[in-house]
Amino acid sequence: MDSETSLNLEGGNEDGQKNYVPKMDLEEINLQDIVPVNLLRQDLPLPNISEVELVRHFITLSSRNYGVDTGIYPLGSCTMKFNPKINEKIARLPGFTQTHPLQDENDGSLEVLYEISKLLGEITGMDAFTLQPAAGAHGELVGLLIIKKYFEIKGLEKKKLIIPDSAHGTNPASAKMAGFSIIELNSNENGEVPLDQLEFAMKEGDVAGIMLTNPNTLGVFDRQIKEITRIVHDNGGLCYYDGANLNPMLEICRPRDMGFDIVHLNLHKTFSTPHGGGGPGSGPIGVIDELSPYLPEPCIISTEQGIVCREGNNKSIGRIKAFWGNFGIIVRAYAYILALGGEGLKRVGQISVLNANYLRVKLMKKYHLPYNRSCQHEFVLSDRNIPNEITTEDVAKRILDYGIYAPTIYFPLIVPGALMIEPTETESMQSLDSFVEIMTKIFEEAKNDPNLLKTAPHCTPIKRLDAVLAARKPILHD
Amino acid sequence: MDFIPHDNKTIAEMLNVIGISSLEELYQDIPNDLIIKKSNLPSGLTEPDLLRYMENISRKNKNYSNSFLGAGCYYHYIPTIVDFVISRSEFYTSYTPYQAEASQGYLQAIYEYQTLISKLTQMEIANASMYDGSTALAEAAIMATIITRKSTIILLKGIHPEYEEVVKTYCWGQDINIETCTEETLQTKINDNTAAVLIQSPNFFGDIEDVSKITQTVKEKSQNCLIVQVMTDPTCLGVLIPPGSTDIDIFIAEGQSFGISPSFGGPGLGIFTAKKKYLRKMPGRLIGKTKEINGDQEGYILTLQAREQHIRREKASSNICTNQALCSLAALTYLLALGRTGLKEIASQNIQKAHHLKMQLKKLPGYEILNKKPTYNEFLIKCPNIEYLIEACKERNLLPPLTISKYYPEMQNVALVCVTEMNSGESIEAFIDAAQSALKKKEEKN
Repeated sequence: MDSETSLNLEGGNEDGQKNYVPKMDLEEINLQDIVPVNLLRQDLPLPNISEVELVRHFITLSSRNYGVDTGIYPLGSCTMKFNPKINEKIARLPGFTQTHPLQDENDGSLEVLYEISKLLGEITGMDAFTLQPAAGAHGELVGLLIIKKYFEIKGLEKKKLIIPDSAHGTNPASAKMAGFSIIELNSNENGEVPLDQLEFAMKEGDVAGIMLTNPNTLGVFDRQIKEITRIVHDNGGLCYYDGANLNPMLEICRPRDMGFDIVHLNLHKTFSTPHGGGGPGSGPIGVIDELSPYLPEPCIISTEQGIVCREGNNKSIGRIKAFWGNFGIIVRAYAYILALGGEGLKRVGQISVLNANYLRVKLMKKYHLPYNRSCQHEFVLSDRNIPNEITTEDVAKRILDYGIYAPTIYFPLIVPGALMIEPTETESMQSLDSFVEIMTKIFEEAKNDPNLLKTAPHCTPIKRLDAVLAARKPILHD
Repeated sequence: MDFIPHDNKTIAEMLNVIGISSLEELYQDIPNDLIIKKSNLPSGLTEPDLLRYMENISRKNKNYSNSFLGAGCYYHYIPTIVDFVISRSEFYTSYTPYQAEASQGYLQAIYEYQTLISKLTQMEIANASMYDGSTALAEAAIMATIITRKSTIILLKGIHPEYEEVVKTYCWGQDINIETCTEETLQTKINDNTAAVLIQSPNFFGDIEDVSKITQTVKEKSQNCLIVQVMTDPTCLGVLIPPGSTDIDIFIAEGQSFGISPSFGGPGLGIFTAKKKYLRKMPGRLIGKTKEINGDQEGYILTLQAREQHIRREKASSNICTNQALCSLAALTYLLALGRTGLKEIASQNIQKAHHLKMQLKKLPGYEILNKKPTYNEFLIKCPNIEYLIEACKERNLLPPLTISKYYPEMQNVALVCVTEMNSGESIEAFIDAAQSALKKKEEKN
């Protein structure tokens, strides 16, 4: 860390200032007359730093960070599309930011929640939505608790869930949090769910259902999807759709029509709300009619009195977050859907697939494509063909040297040395060509100057960091 | 408007490279009967039309000039620099910093956040964030059952009722038992199977609890039982003793008060801290300081990821992936901007201003303060008629306090009043005036 980026968090100005606090306009009372002295703190070890120093500090930090506004961000399964600027303005309208979650004159907020639920219902085919979950994984937990409650009320003991080996890591982690054990299903040679094994697993009898991403994390659409959901339903199970990869399906194909009963969406992926460096996100859950009584509370429904909130339903799984969900994120997604409309969303789906296939066809000339078939919004390369024992990590670090961000690496786990690439629809052909050029150059470098890759990156503010040291001797604060 | 840069000529060129002739062919793997034939979505809006439409909706919410409502979501002043920093798009358009060398800026900022939270709370470790206070509390309860291998959680009365419900939902998912009790019955509830006692202080009713004393009571009965403290407005830490100075094991707070607008209750910020010995059982991301492999420069990196779902899958400490990073950045900026002088002043004004209102209400006939313990910026007041009070507040453009019977039906005509530094002396007078007029109306009706 060089001195230009460091901030003295130990002290700063001795005097400090009260510029961000209104002047006290009431008679001062000694705190010790209000609170016993043993409950008052003696020392507050926060630094006092001037505004100008802080602004320069954060500008320096921002210049050492890469975002979608900097350039292509081809992280597979993350859908790093452009975040429209108007949505930032809309989310900051005082009518939205200054409304308290417990005040009663909240018609505007309820309208947003109700209307976006209807639109998401149209997009996915689902009958009812909750907007409470704060992120995709939170949504998964809620969806699985709904499955748990559904069988519990029916008096059926179903403790297992089927999850394919290509699934996002959150799927098995969420299953465990909802009290399920997992049957992992190995994908077949096409990267799809093997029907015979699925049928065999379902026949065990105590299986609650399946969690599936379609298109899956290899970027391929499971052509047997209707057969998969039929087998699960015929054996008394429910089908959960992980919506992380919904982008290519927009206005092309609905999860409900594929046979799914529950779906979670990632508004921060498909519906363009900024990722914020890892949040806040929003992970709404949509369900078929039969499962709507199990949704978390409060539910928003339309009545003759207008849009109201309903509580006190004893089938509900209960509350899963204080208040109403990440409203500020939901507003941005609502604005995005309204801006694009049906036609715009369809184009989003199509161009995301066009861009991915364009990259796939160009990159497979050099790099190994383990599942060699046309893809949806993303595809997965491996490091198998790269000469001189250059690893996926080496390639990723070298990509950073060219001033762009690297793809998702070592995921999905079923492809050794995976490089998972998702360009999204908002990258121009020129931007994709430039990515191909960089990837091709790196392949040549691997052949001719492997050390250049093994020691990469060279042009970033800092060289490759020691992750082992960080984990062995954790330093988590100054 | 679709934010797509391609024109038709480019699309044709790209299709040609792929070796197909239409966009429809991209979807040849999808069974034809699954393809949507007709969309029922409306057509898109241009930017000015969209803005007008959304402005109209936003105006359907009522905004007041002063607020007396808190109950887990607070109106504090947000320094201009906070929105300035979180609006830098190098931050807000980035993803979780998986490629550390291209994400040093954000990683350093979150490391600074962890540092400031540790200093403020005096807890040994802080993670990068959780969704909000309620879910962080639920995850803390689960973490306690993993650490102690026991399966009962005790909730002490005074926890935010919505937090309590969230904890119950999460615990039901993993067959963890929940019990509730008061401080008086606490000792009789604790047994060999208790994983943790959850305490809120300042609690939902405003009381500042003596956490040290409660901790002692618990530890006397069971050495292994963990203590989890939660608070919903951590600005109080500007003057109140830090949780780390007591013997609690996990400290949770809702960080919305640190530079995040109410926004109808979300996004907020789940602050999660603990004793260092629980590090490897902790949920959520952690940023660590390390060095270059072949150099001496220090840098920052996501660390101890072996606890997390993308590595451990079903054996992970939690399923959390996306957290509230940008809200941590807001909280960091807020705490740095205020500094110790500013935060102390905020906390001090919150206590004093709330106390002023409390004392004046106490003098009014028909009104009674229900808190027996000291309070921070919220307190309970028994009113002659709560509907009249709410009506009178609205007439004076004051956002009324919480009618507590929403959560506790047995507590009729009781308001949970919140006063922050944003309440001027004038607004406090207006509230007194509202209380007087509500009293008068009640007397007239009699």
